[in-house]
Amino acid sequence: MSEEIKPRILKINVLRFDPNDKNDFPHIETFEVEEADGMTLYIALNEIREHNDNSLMFDFVCRAGICGSCSMLVDGRPTLACRTLTSKLGESITLAPLPLFKLIKDLSIYSGEWMRGLNERLETWIHDKEEELNFDKLEERMEPELADEIYELDRCVECGCCVAGCGTIQMKPDFVGAVGLNKIARYHLDPRDKRDDEEYYELIGNEDGVFGCMTLLGCEDVCPKDLPLQSKIAYLRRMMIKTALKN
Amino acid sequence: MKIIYTDVLIIGGGLAGLRVATGVKERGHDAVVLTLVPPKRSHSSAAQGGMQASLANSTMGEGDNEDVHFSDTIKGSDWGADQEVARMFVHCAPKAIRELAAWGVPWSRVKKGDRTAIINAQKVTITEKEEAHGLITARDFGGTKKWRTCYTSDGTGHSMLYAMDNKAHKEKIEIHERQEAISLIVDDGRCYGAVSRNLMTGELVAYVSKATTVATGGYGRIYSVSTNAIICQGIGQAIALETGIATLGNMEAIQFHPTAIVPVGILTTEGCRGDGGLLLDKDGYRFMPDYEPDKKELASRDVVSRRMTEHIRKGKGVKSRYGDHLWLDITILGREHIEKNLREVKEICENFLGIDPAVDWIPVRPTQHYSMGGIRTKYTGESQTLKGLYSCGEAACWDMHGFNRLGGNSVSETVVAGMLIAEYISDFCDSHESSMHIHSSKIEQALAVEKAKIEKLLTNTNGEDTYVLRRRMEEIMMEKVGIFRNGKDLQEAVDELEELYKRSQNIEVHRSKSRAANPALVNAYRTQKMLKVALTVAYGALLRQESRGAHSREDFPERDDENWLKRTITSWPDANQTLPTVSYEEIPIGNMELPPGWRGYGKDLTKHHHATPGRQATVDAIKAQLEKDGADRFEIQSALMPYLEKLPKKYRGINERLGENV
Amino acid sequence: MKKKKIDKTPARLDFIQSASGLILGLFMWGHMFFVSTILLGKDVMYNVTRFFEGYYFFGESYPIIVTIVAGIVFFIFIVHAAVAIRKFPSSYKQYKIMRNHIKSFKHDDTRLWFWQVFTGFAMFFLGSVHLYIIMTNSADIGPYASADRVVSEWMWPLYILLLLAVEFHGSIGMYRLALKWGWFEGKDAKKTRDRLRSYKYAITVFFLTLGFLTLAAYIKIGIEHKDNVGERYHEQSVTVKGVQQ
Repeated sequence: MSEEIKPRILKINVLRFDPNDKNDFPHIETFEVEEADGMTLYIALNEIREHNDNSLMFDFVCRAGICGSCSMLVDGRPTLACRTLTSKLGESITLAPLPLFKLIKDLSIYSGEWMRGLNERLETWIHDKEEELNFDKLEERMEPELADEIYELDRCVECGCCVAGCGTIQMKPDFVGAVGLNKIARYHLDPRDKRDDEEYYELIGNEDGVFGCMTLLGCEDVCPKDLPLQSKIAYLRRMMIKTALKN
Repeated sequence: MKIIYTDVLIIGGGLAGLRVATGVKERGHDAVVLTLVPPKRSHSSAAQGGMQASLANSTMGEGDNEDVHFSDTIKGSDWGADQEVARMFVHCAPKAIRELAAWGVPWSRVKKGDRTAIINAQKVTITEKEEAHGLITARDFGGTKKWRTCYTSDGTGHSMLYAMDNKAHKEKIEIHERQEAISLIVDDGRCYGAVSRNLMTGELVAYVSKATTVATGGYGRIYSVSTNAIICQGIGQAIALETGIATLGNMEAIQFHPTAIVPVGILTTEGCRGDGGLLLDKDGYRFMPDYEPDKKELASRDVVSRRMTEHIRKGKGVKSRYGDHLWLDITILGREHIEKNLREVKEICENFLGIDPAVDWIPVRPTQHYSMGGIRTKYTGESQTLKGLYSCGEAACWDMHGFNRLGGNSVSETVVAGMLIAEYISDFCDSHESSMHIHSSKIEQALAVEKAKIEKLLTNTNGEDTYVLRRRMEEIMMEKVGIFRNGKDLQEAVDELEELYKRSQNIEVHRSKSRAANPALVNAYRTQKMLKVALTVAYGALLRQESRGAHSREDFPERDDENWLKRTITSWPDANQTLPTVSYEEIPIGNMELPPGWRGYGKDLTKHHHATPGRQATVDAIKAQLEKDGADRFEIQSALMPYLEKLPKKYRGINERLGENV
Repeated sequence: MKKKKIDKTPARLDFIQSASGLILGLFMWGHMFFVSTILLGKDVMYNVTRFFEGYYFFGESYPIIVTIVAGIVFFIFIVHAAVAIRKFPSSYKQYKIMRNHIKSFKHDDTRLWFWQVFTGFAMFFLGSVHLYIIMTNSADIGPYASADRVVSEWMWPLYILLLLAVEFHGSIGMYRLALKWGWFEGKDAKKTRDRLRSYKYAITVFFLTLGFLTLAAYIKIGIEHKDNVGERYHEQSVTVKGVQQ
């Protein structure tokens, strides 16, 4: 029966800009696409590129909601475009690149550089005791529940949606954002990381860290992986206050 | 002109590339990683199900060890694998997984006591040992005797890649993002790095290095429907091919994964079946036991994919506007299990199909998934023919997968190969051999050649439309070089691909003329390269007149060891030729630890090699004698096929297991 | 062992902001209840006033107590303002970015930020005026005195604005405090947040209603009492005394 219904003609408004082109300026360009069953923005954008404008730039990699490449503002809301079904949107859809990140062109952003900077700043790796490990031996044990808990936070895909949905970081770009705070929560939970509370405090015990968070919770509401950002930031805040009181 | 010098250039920032980078850095060499996308977005992250390593911690993995893993891998490969390489691999897999555990992967762990699992549609209780509590656990995967696939929920690749990339951050590895290597710099039979194009600015940069590693993954995107990320386009293989010196191995060996969702081709992990999911036809009937009474849904991937296709051809598929499909039923696993251990699958079902897999069946069909073939290398990862060029991971034909890869062996290969090849590269860089003798004019020339090619694409007139060529190539590969192949279709495929290739030399980038970020330009030069790769696959498939592993010829249904126990070697020595040059490399039976036999699926159609019985007798005799003498399994193995000396010293140690060598 | 010295100031500031906010919020809720006793009659309000002036402890009224309390509140108010100003946009550019973000994002909790900053900013002035007057005129609190201030001294426009500002700022602030520190989180933080959000709306509506009714009551009294400005309310019944004995 659905065959009889005429497919919608979607109006896809894309905020376009090519910083490499001196004559270009940010502008909205509208493309019309005939909607198909199960169409996602991945499919729609590729159709536009193939049939309407082959210079339209956007980023998809896994196109399965796993890699976090294709985050963009869909009708103002940061989300992963590859897994956004057009059927869940209106006939007129507005797409824009995530703010804050360096723009490459059109919907393509240089989030990798930003995330790398964040990881370096927060030293998001296991800080072990720097002893020579012998991998012939049995691995260190870990409680199964703890392993699950760590994975729960390890699920972040660095898509940047939480950054784009964060009012704080829009105003204060040095803020670490939920992505950074979640990482600290993850390593703090991990017994393999030997950093103590004071060292964590050094990283996020300031206005650019957990104390900068204004609890607007855009992060929590847009996270495509449903990470428990609110709880973890609250947890870090309590922990950091305790650390400061303890000293 | 921009030239960047480094010791080791690594093209590709997935698991394999990053592991090489950290390895050489640890040995004191500078490394630069070129990547199309941020490393954490590499296709490695999409590996949901797990990594094989014979840890034998869980009850269902008891008795597992390198020998069992080795035998599964060789059988899985349909005896196409290099057995020494497979040995090196199974020996190092436990080390690699433990290393990753130390680097931060939160592997799912064994929990002591009873738990219920679904095996063969029955609820069973498994009791985990007290002494295994907290060690890395494993799940069942196709084609394995033991439960050996270690995992992190169903985000194994993701958690591995994140740990690996974080390790690279820690080691301050230089990552040059959105850099695409478009040609290798070769002088006097030696590879000296690559010409790379900055995908943001269009700038061409020459990276000059002592050793160059291609770790760019597979080439699934030459097919119209693939589970692969859209960046898995075989460009790494293509630039190796374009040197005219490096060779590719077994390009026709393409794996189809049984359970990608319809129509978009996104993978649902083998863990679905490993954990007890079933395949059903249009009548809701479980058909796999009819075909494979023993392994059922958990037969090797190539086998399940073929059985599914056969069943669909019998008219048992579910009709849909996107073609016929079958059902994957994981409802029997229960919501709790799905939401915890198969969460990615659940998300994918919700987001792309709008269904709840705890209630609904998932529409699936076999879809292109993995490239066993790739840049042919020695066990050291170095090209057999081009000095200074290395390759590892899916990009390479090392060759531990032969004609079919076991589920869980691919992410495992990335990190194992990465850690080994990093050592061999470091040895090379430490030696005098590695000193560079390339004149800067050669580098300038390499840059000029690429610049000219790009200019031609942009300024050509009345040229071909990239999209037309590319779509047609994808269709041909899908229709004629798919799961079941035959001579007629393959011949047509080769002919038409060759025609497309010729036309691709006259591509014109329409409208979009920017020399900076320009997706149309990228598509144009990649399509030219992809067509070359597609030709190696189709041509290799046409010439191989037998069925082996994932390469299944309807007109030659038997495996023919007498004539075809050999690797297809493809090269492109002359830039003007329009078909690849194909030769063959014998796979010697004389030193096989596990002489060719029957894989145990369907009817045994093998035409055995005349040398097989002799080798089998030798192997049996050595085994019997040593067993009588009370030799342990290591001594027996070493008598059959010594390999330890080939490993870097630091990785030769015997692996501990519960109850073994502890 | 190396022990790094950490800078505790950010933690302190954050703690002070939350703690002072909590105190002020709770104070405002109490304050609203006390002021609204006018709805129960002039006597009740009069006695509440006398209670706070220490009448029932010392047998005599000491408005200085109110001055001191108001002074303390004023002090906390200033401290709160001083630390909370860190969260304000520090330039027009920042403000503009945030406005655009709010406009395009259409996210409730982010929108609330604007209202909180806006009301907070308004209270720098409104709150200060009110607190200063109470501090310096602590004796002039009572059914007539307060009503006169509202009507004859032209405070009602300020009180309407202050009421709106306080109630929005307070309930948003309390809601955010709970989320910020993870109070009442329980097993399902998302569900808790939904619940907290509906409480927040309910509290806002309740206090605004109560506040406006109260203000209306004072305005009514103030208008009736317009000709006798300056006259103080005196207890008219002995029963009150009786109750107290």
